[in-house]
Amino acid sequence: MDRRAFLTYNAAIAAVPLTGAALTGLSDAASAATRPPPIDFKANLPATGTFPDKWICGSSSCIDNTDPPVQVHWYNPHTAILRQNKAYSYEAPFAPLYFGNDRVLLLDEGYVQLRNDYDLRAVVDQCIEDWCRRNGRDPASLELLVAFSHLHDDHYAATNQFADRPNTRYMGLTHEEMVGFWGMTNFPEERVTLDLGGREVLIWGSPGHVVSEFAYYDSYTQILYTGDMFYRGRCYISFWEPWFDSMKRLIQFCDTHPVTHVMGCHVEISKDGEDYAYGMTYQPDEAPVQMTVQQLREAWAYAQKITEPGIYFTGTVFLCNQTRGTTTIDKNPYRY
Amino acid sequence: MFTRSQPVWGHFLAQSPTRSTGFSGSSQAATGRAYPNGNPALGYNPPGVRNTDSALPLHRTRPVTHDYACDGPAAGSLSFRWTYGSNVAAKNRDPRVQVVQYNEDTFVLRQNVCVHWEAPFTYLLFGNKGALLIDTGATANAAHYPLRETVDAIIARWVKARGRSKVPLTVALTSAEDIAQNQGLVQFADRPDTTIVPKPLALMQKTYGIANWPSGTGRIDLGDRVITVVPTPGTHKDGVSFYDPYCDLLFTGDLLFPGKINIGNDTDFVASLERLKAFAAANPVKWLLGGHIEMMFVPGKYYPRFATFKPYERVLEMTPNLIDEALEAARAVQGKDMMLIRPDFVLFNGVSPDQRTPIWPEGVPNIRAPHPF
Repeated sequence: MDRRAFLTYNAAIAAVPLTGAALTGLSDAASAATRPPPIDFKANLPATGTFPDKWICGSSSCIDNTDPPVQVHWYNPHTAILRQNKAYSYEAPFAPLYFGNDRVLLLDEGYVQLRNDYDLRAVVDQCIEDWCRRNGRDPASLELLVAFSHLHDDHYAATNQFADRPNTRYMGLTHEEMVGFWGMTNFPEERVTLDLGGREVLIWGSPGHVVSEFAYYDSYTQILYTGDMFYRGRCYISFWEPWFDSMKRLIQFCDTHPVTHVMGCHVEISKDGEDYAYGMTYQPDEAPVQMTVQQLREAWAYAQKITEPGIYFTGTVFLCNQTRGTTTIDKNPYRY
Repeated sequence: MFTRSQPVWGHFLAQSPTRSTGFSGSSQAATGRAYPNGNPALGYNPPGVRNTDSALPLHRTRPVTHDYACDGPAAGSLSFRWTYGSNVAAKNRDPRVQVVQYNEDTFVLRQNVCVHWEAPFTYLLFGNKGALLIDTGATANAAHYPLRETVDAIIARWVKARGRSKVPLTVALTSAEDIAQNQGLVQFADRPDTTIVPKPLALMQKTYGIANWPSGTGRIDLGDRVITVVPTPGTHKDGVSFYDPYCDLLFTGDLLFPGKINIGNDTDFVASLERLKAFAAANPVKWLLGGHIEMMFVPGKYYPRFATFKPYERVLEMTPNLIDEALEAARAVQGKDMMLIRPDFVLFNGVSPDQRTPIWPEGVPNIRAPHPF
C-alpha cells in the first residue's frame, strides 16, 4: 500500500475481502439504516475537555498499591488518555487514544510487555467498546492504529499485545517502518494528515531525543503531543541540532495553528518544580502533564541561549543537553 | 495365570541397576527410585530414630542456656536466595519481611524490594540474657512493613524453645541518621522490655559505653554473647559497626556493603576503614554483613536507584579482605568529587547517587549483566 492509498484507506473497504461483495452490500445497507450519522469533528473547535486534577501516581510501598494498572481518563467523549500506574513501571508514560468515525489511534503503549503483567489490550478494547456503545457503533467496524511517539521501549513494548488483534495495524520497530507507517518521504520536515474519519491528526518529524520521533497534533482537541522530546520533566536531548530544529518546527506550528495544550509522555517534576529522580515509583505531588503554548515558547527562548551541554531549567522542564551519560540533576543528598 | 510370585519380583529388583535406597540411605528417602514416595512397609520409626540426639531437652526444669564460647566462628548458613522483587512491583507476593535463620541464635531479616527499594537488612541476635535488633528497615508503616510483628514472633518462638518467659530486647541502629534503616524504629516505641539506643550522639556513646569517640569501642552484653560496638562514621556522622564474637560477623550497615556507598565525609570514612582493618586484624572476622545489596553478581555492575526488580543480585556477605580493598579505594577518592567502581562495591564521594562514569576499573572483566525486562 502506498502512502496515498493508506491515507484514504477506509475500514469499510477493508471489510470487503472478508465477507464478499454481495454480503457486504447487504450488511452495509443494513448497518447504514441503523448506524447513527457520523460525528462531526470539525464544528465548534477546539473540542473542550478536561485533565484530571491528580493522576494515579504510585505509592510509597509498591506492593500495597491498589490502583488499577492504568488510569483511563476521558478528556472528552471522543478522547481518552491512558496513564500507566507508577507501581507497575516507574516510566509511567501517558498514552492518548483518539477516536474517529472510522479508526482509533493509540499513541504510545506503556512500559509493559506481557498481557499477564497488565493487559493493555483489554483496557483499549474496553475503551473502544464503551465509546461504541455511547455512539451506537459496532467495535468490529473500527480500525485500531497502534503507533508510538518514538522508538523507545517504554513506548512500544506493549505493541506485541496487539499482534493478533483483528482490524488492527501497528507501527514497526525500525525508523524506516515508522516513517513509512505515516507515509512520509521527507522526514522530519514533511507534515502528513491522518484521517481517523472526520478527525484529522497532523504528524511530522520531531527528532532530537531520539532520531525516530514524531509530533502529533489532533485537530479536534487541538492538543499538541510532543512525546519525549518535550515533556514535563527531564527532556534528555541526545542530539542538540535536530532537537533545536524540531523545537523551531513546533514553534512555527504554534504560530499558524491553534493549540490548546502541549502534552508530553511523562511527568517527572513536582508542582513546585522539584525533580523526581529517575526511577522513582511515587510522585505524590506531581505537576500536570499538560503545558501551555506559552511554556513551550519560554523553553524555546531559553534554548536559544544554550550553547553548551548541561542541564538547564526553563521554569517548566529540564533540558538535559547531551548529559545523561555522566550526570544527573540531584546532588548527593547527605554530606557532613 | 499369574504364577510369578513375590520372590521372582524381588529377584528382579535386586538385579536392577536402577535400584537405589537414595543418597541419604534412609528407608524413607524420596530419592530412592524404587520407592519415590517412601516405603510404608518399613515402618515410621526405624531403630535409628532412637539414637538421635534431640535438639530440645524433653523435660526442662529451668531455662536453657547456651555456651557461646567456641573455637572459630559458630556454624551458620546464609544459603538462601534473597527475595528480589518483581517486574511489576504492585503484583509482588513475596513476604514483606524475609526471615533467614543463620543459626539458632542469629537471624537475618530483609525488607521486600517492592515495599521499599532500599530493601535493607536487619539482624536479630540472641544471647542468654537478651536480644539485639540491629537496624529497623526503611518503612515506618507496620501495615506495609510488619517488622515489629515479625521480630515479636521470632522472639516468642525463641523464648519458648529456651524455656523462658521473656527476653529483653535492645534496638540499635548502625546509624540513627540513615533513613533507610531508622524508619521502623517507631514500631518499637511502646514495646515492653525494650531498650532503644537513643539517637543523640552523646547519649548513644554513653549507652554503648564508648569513652573516646571514635577511637574507643563500646559493648552490648546479651548474656555470654558480648557485641562490640565500633565507631565507624563516614557515610553518616553517627555510624557504628557491630561485631559478634560468637559468629565472627561484623555488621557494617551503611559504611561497607555490596552496593553504592555514598560517602558523607571522606576523612571519617578512611579513618573508620582503618579502624575496621585494625579491628579485623585483632579479632577473627568471618564475614562482613552490610545493610543493603545493590551490586549484581557480575563484578562492578549495580542496580540503579529505585529498582524494584533485582534478580541478579550479588550475595550479601563480604570477606574481610574487602576492608583493605575499600580502604585503598577510599584513599583514591579522598578529597575528590568522584565515583569509583570496584568489583564488589562502588564509592560515591560528593557526587549524585545517580552519577555515572565512563571509567571501568582495570583488570576487572566487563560483563554485560542480563536485563530482566
